[in-house]
Amino acid sequence: MISKDVQKILPLVQKPGRYTGGELNSVVKDKSKVKLRYAFCFPDSYEIGMSHLGIKILYSAANERDDVWCERVFAPWHDMEKEMRQRKIPLYALESGDPLTDFDLIGFTLQYELCYTNVLNLLDLAGMPVRSSDRDERYPLVVGGGPCACNPEPMADFFDMFMLGEGEEMSNELFDLIIGCKEKGVSKKELLKLASQIEGVYVPSLYDVVYNDDCTIKSVTPNEDCVPEKVTKRIISDLDTVHYPEKFIVPFVEVVHDRVIHEILRGCIRGCRFCQAGFLYRPIREKSPGVIDEQCYRLCKNTGYDEISLSSLSTSDYTQLEDLMGKLLTWTEKEKVNIALPSLRVDNFSEKLMEHLKKVRRSGLTFAPEAGTQRLRDAINKNVTEEEMLSTARQAFSGGWTSVKLYFMLGLPTETYDDVAGIADLAQKVVNEFYRNPDKPKGKGVQVSISVASFVPKPFTPFQWEAQDTVDELISKQNHLLSSVTTKKVSVSYHKVNISFLEGVFARGDRRLCDVVEYAWKHGCKFDSWDDSFLFDVWLEAFEKCGVDPLFYTSRKRAYTEILPWDHLDYGIRKEFLICENKKAYENETTPHCRIKCAGCGSNMLNGGECDAMRQSMV
Amino acid sequence: MRCVRVWFKKMGMSRYVSHLDLMRAMTRSVRRAGLPLWYTEGFNPHPYLTFALPLSLGMESLYESMDIRIEGDSTNNEIFDLLKGAMPPGIEIVSVDDPVDDPKTIAFGEFDLLFDCDNTEKLISSIEQMLSGEELIVQKMGKQGRKKVLKDINLLEFLHSYEISHSSNRVKLTVVFPAGSTTNINPTLLSDVIAERSQEDIGCFVVRKRLMKADMENFR
Repeated sequence: MISKDVQKILPLVQKPGRYTGGELNSVVKDKSKVKLRYAFCFPDSYEIGMSHLGIKILYSAANERDDVWCERVFAPWHDMEKEMRQRKIPLYALESGDPLTDFDLIGFTLQYELCYTNVLNLLDLAGMPVRSSDRDERYPLVVGGGPCACNPEPMADFFDMFMLGEGEEMSNELFDLIIGCKEKGVSKKELLKLASQIEGVYVPSLYDVVYNDDCTIKSVTPNEDCVPEKVTKRIISDLDTVHYPEKFIVPFVEVVHDRVIHEILRGCIRGCRFCQAGFLYRPIREKSPGVIDEQCYRLCKNTGYDEISLSSLSTSDYTQLEDLMGKLLTWTEKEKVNIALPSLRVDNFSEKLMEHLKKVRRSGLTFAPEAGTQRLRDAINKNVTEEEMLSTARQAFSGGWTSVKLYFMLGLPTETYDDVAGIADLAQKVVNEFYRNPDKPKGKGVQVSISVASFVPKPFTPFQWEAQDTVDELISKQNHLLSSVTTKKVSVSYHKVNISFLEGVFARGDRRLCDVVEYAWKHGCKFDSWDDSFLFDVWLEAFEKCGVDPLFYTSRKRAYTEILPWDHLDYGIRKEFLICENKKAYENETTPHCRIKCAGCGSNMLNGGECDAMRQSMV
Repeated sequence: MRCVRVWFKKMGMSRYVSHLDLMRAMTRSVRRAGLPLWYTEGFNPHPYLTFALPLSLGMESLYESMDIRIEGDSTNNEIFDLLKGAMPPGIEIVSVDDPVDDPKTIAFGEFDLLFDCDNTEKLISSIEQMLSGEELIVQKMGKQGRKKVLKDINLLEFLHSYEISHSSNRVKLTVVFPAGSTTNINPTLLSDVIAERSQEDIGCFVVRKRLMKADMENFR
């Protein structure tokens, strides 16, 4: 229950429902009866955080334990923060209304680099020192996870620990350890050493980083005997038996993804060279249709939601999609539940699948060719052809769709201005496809929206050594694209390049950036991923004041031999494999997906040598 | 298909649920309840819900009603039983009835304005003074054609009746103001001006107690 002080300020802020808790299915426990209190923070607004599947899974998994109470925390929006600071109200968790300092463990999920200042801001709002070394036993432990934990070095000074990989099992082991240490009165330092023994837990303070004169890394070495030299990420071996929530919290305030989400597979077989998720979440593991169907049914019953989103990195790669759709449709039609299939690929979008999709409420169709020409699509290993794309568009148009959204990237390695113009050409061909359709709906035009992101090289991808396009290069490519589009049937939207630039710095950054993050936050940076809140000048000042050159991280092509800031973290992907993929990109040579031929990435070793893709390719 | 009127209370933290959010929350609640719902027959079938008079964000209410359309021949009691277990925290089903009055007949609302303060005597005398005068001018958002403009209005012209009571550190002002589709006066116009003039940090919150027709009979 939130305090009287908070209730007084709620009438003064926008959408107060974000700060009250008390939503359906939120978990309230008796705090005197639990041994560990865990505050799970999503360092962005309530609407973004409540849309995230990971928090739903881990919240529910932690609360299944009688001895743990997990609560939620989100970043208060600017107006709320102002009122809280004015009245000295510390940051509180939504379920109990208790301040964060009452907790044993604070977890942050790091979904994107531009949330880093929010992490510091939340710690500060809670009345905690932001640096790990300034927090003694009186303060809760602070742990980070999520995709950015694959290179957490720019945040190393602020966190006590990071959890690499999938958290369902690892969290439990960490809870057990903390509960045990609390009972025995073990010091924080000792506890962290013990935590580093848990597979997947990385304690940055137990590693020393030495730099060369040119600022590259000379070595990263453990500074205690018992600490592993490399920390390997954790995975869940069997998705059918791992915990999945029976209930989602149903927010009152409308959030971005306000529906049942079901994760039908983890990992990806495609190996698109730009895509970090495609490598970070390997190996591919599928969940059985029967299990998904039953869990979806229960979730709909318990939430009242009328939409299910079957999510994954590439939903049409789920081998039993038609079986699953058949099972779901036996009850979803009657219950008026809509099924959404995000992340479909153009090369296996079947007619039957489209028939299924037509039965439920129609939403837009979105495809991601990523690059405008075949040469560049080959270089990034997108493995779709123009003909596949156009035939899918044809199918969609004859199925009655009149608008299509296409996703592209600018600034990909080896990209030329012809490739950029190719985006406009491809969009035009899709438009032509619409008018070629003999039974196109009368009186209706076609709308092709192309959305262009700026490519940011990321760790654990074949492009992790590449130089990122500069801000000027990206702007000039955006302009070239705009001038190449000649029809009003095609609309173009693109990202702010300064934001991508900063993302690039932190994606491949090292510990020298900790000072920069702290400086920027102290001088007003927060909610950096929100265009309106992004203060680029302050960031530039922060780099200058801390004596760090941001271009060192973005514009520099690294040698294969250079020690990268994340080399002491093991995500199961062999470096030799990534090098080989990098070389193939420059020869415009593709690599077939994992079910056609195993490319030997090495991630099956995380699963005792097992990989769903290999098993399926042998059948 | 028939229409039933569901009466409910909106209390506690659910008072921060806006009208639009309440519609979505209630749609999910009736789905969870497993009611034999009637669905609209368009491209986008959804249950049909209407609310008599939207409640302002931040107010509690003891007297909210929502009309829903159902299929089949379940009784009001059966619907009540299904609904009461399916509500989100803070929403409490009071009863399920056949609708009697058209929501258009709503003319008045009765509200409790609750003030937390240390010096109740001082606050009461200041309220008495304000309400017994000739006029109490406040600014109200109104329409001028299509434009929204601030208008000065005399609240006392609209105040139908009031009553003051108090406990040790709380003052309760019960007021009746016009409510409904023709004239609607939000009682926070009054509570805001009271809070402003009291020069004390008094927390105020508002409870809608009932809605009445022009003859002061309850809207049913």
